Amino acid sequence: MLSDTNRFNAYRIMWVLVFFDLPTETKKERRAASQFRKKLIDDGFTMFQFSIYLRHCPSRENAKVHTKRVKSILPKYGKVCILEITDKQFGNMELFHGVKPIEVPQPVQQLELF
Amino acid sequence: MIKRTIYIGSPAYLRLKQKQLVVENPEDKSIKGTVPIEDMALLMLDHYQITLSNQLLLKLQGNNVAVVSCDAHHLPFAMMLPLYGHTEHSDRIKHQLEASEPLKKQLWKQTIEQKIKNQQALLKMNDKPYEQMDLYWQHVKSGDTTNCEAKAAQHHWKYLFENFTRERFGNSPNNLLNFGYAVLRSIVARALVSSGLLPVLGIFHRNKYNPYCLADDIMEPYRPFVDKMVYNYISQYGVPEKLTKECKAYMLNIATQDVWIDGVERPLMVAVTTTTASLYKCYEGELRQIKYPTLD
Repeated sequence: MLSDTNRFNAYRIMWVLVFFDLPTETKKERRAASQFRKKLIDDGFTMFQFSIYLRHCPSRENAKVHTKRVKSILPKYGKVCILEITDKQFGNMELFHGVKPIEVPQPVQQLELF
Repeated sequence: MIKRTIYIGSPAYLRLKQKQLVVENPEDKSIKGTVPIEDMALLMLDHYQITLSNQLLLKLQGNNVAVVSCDAHHLPFAMMLPLYGHTEHSDRIKHQLEASEPLKKQLWKQTIEQKIKNQQALLKMNDKPYEQMDLYWQHVKSGDTTNCEAKAAQHHWKYLFENFTRERFGNSPNNLLNFGYAVLRSIVARALVSSGLLPVLGIFHRNKYNPYCLADDIMEPYRPFVDKMVYNYISQYGVPEKLTKECKAYMLNIATQDVWIDGVERPLMVAVTTTTASLYKCYEGELRQIKYPTLD
């Protein structure tokens, strides 16, 4: 018998994090920054903190796809960092709001009921 | 890659925003969640108070997402798929239309053989009488002229569940089976479209009222996987009176069931695309054997 869960274990699921510092001095720069942000959202990234976006990917291969896409939309100026980590590592994160601990984002499910 | 199944079972306002499906609560306009459209495979709508925009529908179809709506009995009622989901669409359909009668009969034989083998494996797994099934799958003729499928099915249903008759609108767990099969059918139809084939034109099923003949053909060897899930559900929780939300959530997991196909282990949804791709190769003449999963 095969187990049902091994395909979705915490070492296969990846999170792609994008950190950025973009210049917003001139109107042009602000436009470039907001365009970059919008393209990230188009690709399925959600805001984690103001300049940190993240995306859940069901496999390493899929994470590569999204990393590649981010590379293709990089703004001309400013710093961008792309980081891929496993769900295991992501789950070990500690999060606080003030001094109150808050919950780490849950990986998305293959099946979602609304 | 395994894609996502989204089930909407409460009042919702669905719209598109920045290539994401946005699920909004119509009462207080709060956003219940967003899903990237490219990650989706199946959207099941099971409530009367669901509104969705045409732009969203277009985007869903552009990404080959099967949109399934359910009726008053909460069973899948209609399915919406794009007209074509493959770049070589007309070329592929030409091969499909020109498939010879002997080829189709051969394909049907292989399909039934594998279906009976899978049924047998399921019986064996649950310590039910299975030896007789050998007789059935060994004697499947081209085009299944001796109707081994029906004989095997009779045996299968007789021993799998106790006091059970398989009927379209029969007692539970018939409703559970029907729901599972309907989900499976939409998964198969979606895969057929993405392989550039016409789901209308079957290899064996030819009912003029059925728009998904080929899907019904190709899903046959996959049916025992649904039976297995229902069997496991019943042995754990007993026979459900009604098709509850929990039952449906359980049955929708059919997409992620691991199956063995072509020597590798894959989620069922991925295996179905392997099958449909190999079916096209059979039509085209590159392959002689259609690839089906084995249950173990």
